[in-house]
Amino acid sequence: MSDAVATQAEPAESRTAPAGSAKTLLTRRRTYVITACALLLLALPFYLDRFWLQAGLFAMAAAIGAIGLNLLTGATGQLSMGHAFFLAVGAYGYCVFAGERGQEINGLGLPPWLAAVLAVLVAGVAGGLFSPIAGRLKGAYLGIATLALIFIGQHVLFNAENLTGGANGRDVPAMSLFGLTFDESEITVANVPFGSAEKLWYLGLVLTLGCGLFARGVLRGRPGRAMNAIRDHRIAAGVLGVPVARYRGAVFVLSSMYAGLAGVLLALVFQRTVPDYFGITLSLEYLAMIVIGGLGSVAGAVVGAAFVSLLPQLLTRYSDALPLVSAPGTGGVAPGEASRYLYGAAVVAVVLFLPGGLVQLAARRARKHPQEDA
Amino acid sequence: MSDVSTFLELLLNGVSMGSVYALIALGFVVIFRATEVVNFAHASLLLAGGYVTASLHDDIGFWPALGVGIAAAAVVGAAVEFLVMRRYRGHDHSVLAIVTIGVDILLTTELTRRLGTDVLTLGDPWGDAVLTVGGVSIAHTRIAAFVAAALLITAFLLTFRYTSWGVAMRAAAESSETAALMGVRLGRVSLGAWAVAGGLAAVAALFLTVFPTPGLERATSLAALKAFPAAILGGLDSTTGALVGGLIVGVTESLATGYQSELAFMGRGLGDLAPYLVMTLILLLRPSGLFGTKELARV
Amino acid sequence: MTARNPRNRTRTLTATAVAALLALTAACSSKAKDGGDDDKQSAGGVKTGQGISGKTIDLGVLTDMTGVYATLGKSVTQAQQLYVKQVNADGGICGYQLKLTVRDHGYDPQKAVAGYTELAPKVLGFTQFIGSPFVAAVKQRIDGQDKGLVLPQAWSAHLLGSPYVRVIGSTYDIETINAIDFLMKEKGLQKGDKLGHVYFEGDYGENALQGSKYMADKAGLTVVEQKIKPTDNDMTAQVAALKKAGVKGIVISAGPRQAASLVGVAAAAKLNVPVIGNNSAFAPQLLATQAGPALEKNYWVASPSLPIGADTAEAKKLVADYRKAYPKDSLDNGVVAGWTAASVFGEALKKACESKDLTREGVDKALLTLSSFDNGFGVDQDFSDPKAPSSHQSVILQPDKSAVGGMKVVRQPGEAEQAASYTPSAS
Repeated sequence: MSDAVATQAEPAESRTAPAGSAKTLLTRRRTYVITACALLLLALPFYLDRFWLQAGLFAMAAAIGAIGLNLLTGATGQLSMGHAFFLAVGAYGYCVFAGERGQEINGLGLPPWLAAVLAVLVAGVAGGLFSPIAGRLKGAYLGIATLALIFIGQHVLFNAENLTGGANGRDVPAMSLFGLTFDESEITVANVPFGSAEKLWYLGLVLTLGCGLFARGVLRGRPGRAMNAIRDHRIAAGVLGVPVARYRGAVFVLSSMYAGLAGVLLALVFQRTVPDYFGITLSLEYLAMIVIGGLGSVAGAVVGAAFVSLLPQLLTRYSDALPLVSAPGTGGVAPGEASRYLYGAAVVAVVLFLPGGLVQLAARRARKHPQEDA
Repeated sequence: MSDVSTFLELLLNGVSMGSVYALIALGFVVIFRATEVVNFAHASLLLAGGYVTASLHDDIGFWPALGVGIAAAAVVGAAVEFLVMRRYRGHDHSVLAIVTIGVDILLTTELTRRLGTDVLTLGDPWGDAVLTVGGVSIAHTRIAAFVAAALLITAFLLTFRYTSWGVAMRAAAESSETAALMGVRLGRVSLGAWAVAGGLAAVAALFLTVFPTPGLERATSLAALKAFPAAILGGLDSTTGALVGGLIVGVTESLATGYQSELAFMGRGLGDLAPYLVMTLILLLRPSGLFGTKELARV
Repeated sequence: MTARNPRNRTRTLTATAVAALLALTAACSSKAKDGGDDDKQSAGGVKTGQGISGKTIDLGVLTDMTGVYATLGKSVTQAQQLYVKQVNADGGICGYQLKLTVRDHGYDPQKAVAGYTELAPKVLGFTQFIGSPFVAAVKQRIDGQDKGLVLPQAWSAHLLGSPYVRVIGSTYDIETINAIDFLMKEKGLQKGDKLGHVYFEGDYGENALQGSKYMADKAGLTVVEQKIKPTDNDMTAQVAALKKAGVKGIVISAGPRQAASLVGVAAAAKLNVPVIGNNSAFAPQLLATQAGPALEKNYWVASPSLPIGADTAEAKKLVADYRKAYPKDSLDNGVVAGWTAASVFGEALKKACESKDLTREGVDKALLTLSSFDNGFGVDQDFSDPKAPSSHQSVILQPDKSAVGGMKVVRQPGEAEQAASYTPSAS
């Protein structure tokens, strides 16, 4: 989107290019950092209580959604404020496909894994249906036109009661894969009881990793260059032979599918979908995520998602211990307000002082201290 | 009550609300023309103007308070431009749009914290008086809103056309680089645009919080959301478009609400949604809105 | 893969060691089951469990002080903090001090669910949980594993049916039936008339609509529906539509602002029909606005209990104490709701103490034995049946500037005959 991001992405690519052989892989510090992180992530469910696991799961779902939005807004330069709508399509789609046919609420009773796949596809189709608009509008026009999706979505969620359950939402059927059901029934692993949060944690990790790798592949390959060309100069891209309209439509569909998957994961974590969640605030949060993390890159989306979704929860939880923040009901700045101040300030500060987002910090460090082992 | 007079009443009400939306939408358009930024912080400018007016009118009277409120909102707008927008070194307008979201969160949080759970009145002179002509009744506040909006918009269009600031702004909108080369001070143009948008929002805040609405409170700023479809369907870079867009949104909303029983097959509570549906329809036919500049390149 | 130089071998070894260590320590993580039972026996022979540590009973509060229900959340929370302070000053309950942990979710589902997840393992129960969609969101967990007592500050019939989530006072549907009964008995609404119902999209409004439809069916009325959203502040179009339909009375199940706008516009448009609202459709702050005079003249409110300004000793004491503790804040029915919920919880704790069982189960059971609880706000609450609201009664109030809390009683607690025969459908 911005030149700063584009130039910042280049060295990252050249750095990874020689990492071909097993030897270079083993001699690089990065490999070990990644391994340590992976081990840590795998071990967390054995130690953290449910609150933290749930917070982590929210962050993972947000990361998947943010990666999708970053493909669209960050890499291709299409502003979308309708991301929450596609999250809702995924979440509710999963419930409808997997839910049992009830008295008041309909469901198709499909196997959960199939329901999840179908929900993601439906989100993609919804994105495709919007392409007559998405393909023609640009910039601010597209951004505000996608707002319409939020309002349409909310209207349907509240009114189509036999599908969505209305204002109180509907229960989310537990995921089940290879005979393992991701519900509250406890299984014991190494003497630690595994409930839904612990089990979902691993599912979330797999999904986030898969989504991240896929998006990285897209961004680093031919499509990614075409997308960046469209972002930086649409007309020139067209002249060079990039099928602009087709690309824009396809990215919109892909981004919607990412949002759909994020919606499915969120629904599984929430265990119940409620329409209030999928409003305009959520869309704005996703935009904030990619800006704070860094536009146009997978890492940026993940960092931003973690920041935006964890910050309010941390501030609420440790509200008692923070200076200047008073407990709710005692007057003064409430924790809810404090987290909004910080969040707003973070958006402004990152754009002004770190136009490449938080990942730029890491990139700068890497540039100052080139790979010691390489 | 006859069907005709119900229709007229809904229409008139829609037109007067629409003129208030047009004021907000005009603010968007002014900023967009000068800087090509979509301003999501507009809601908080509106709240700021209303808040200042509401907290001062008891002490200094309504009109001075309104004046101070408008000035305050203009100052806040200009401050946002000077302290934030100007500091951005990149030149991607979508990123700047996202900055305004951050600004909006900051300002709105501060203002709602100050407002707390209060409902503040603005001390306007119209009260709840109603004018009834031939079975059609309309509140004085609504008439005032329409007159004020009409005056302001006319004044604005004239300024835009005949003053040097207006010319500078149109030049900046046409091509900022050329304008800068020709000696237009872009900084001053965009500072002015933000100040004007703030002032317009403060006037809109007044008419959004007087009768038939009980007063200013934390949710008032949500009305700014209605100006989005207004600005877009008229064409983001067209001042006439803002006016027409505002009226279309106001009337659509009023009619969709008033005839909700007749429209019940689409689900009830359509009032909020209807303007967006109309907007989507118009954008399908005209991707740059009704009066927006068409982009000639086809790729 | 083989490591070829010594430095790398060390690294590989370290990594393996770390992995092994993690796997081993997992076994001794604090989460690992120790096999023992959570329940403890204290010195006094009282059985205790989750939510009690040392000499403190932890209670959770999930409120909204920065979102759309900030007005309600603030009053309810402050009243509950006042209750806890007073109970503790009097020596606590069963020798235990009460402690409230407040989490403000700002009406954000993610924060609400996170707040519940954080507090659920630590507290005995929740004296407040604002936002019925969020209660619904965690209901599976409340009913399935947690089983702690939750007192939601929402009066939707959808919440009924769980032995752990207990609604205090009449639900919105029953309240609406009582409200229409008042219009028919005292404000001239008659069989065959049309009745306007302006209601919020969502749980609250739709539950109230169930009540008005039921009552319309029983009493021969026709309901003219007008659904609105919480962001709608100007009721002009709604009034025009209701006027066109020729309604003879209006029920409003929305927020205070919408009620004020509706009453003001109706008066201005010469639609001189009585307007009555549910308990959430009034706030004393409105009396200072332009809508004030119209509200005092032509607006009534149905409420599950007597107002804060009631003429009872308990109410007067509460008013005095609350004013002393929070001199700047207004007294409204949120204070009554919060105080009542806290006292119901306190009463259940006392009963549970008597039967020497302060576990979650013990408190749940103790509440079922409360069949006639009145804390001075005029309505007997019966908690013996989880499927029914704790009362079917409503009080009819009228806005009055001179009254404490801005409301005076115009009809004492009572229930319409139709309300008695009505069974809320929990779905």
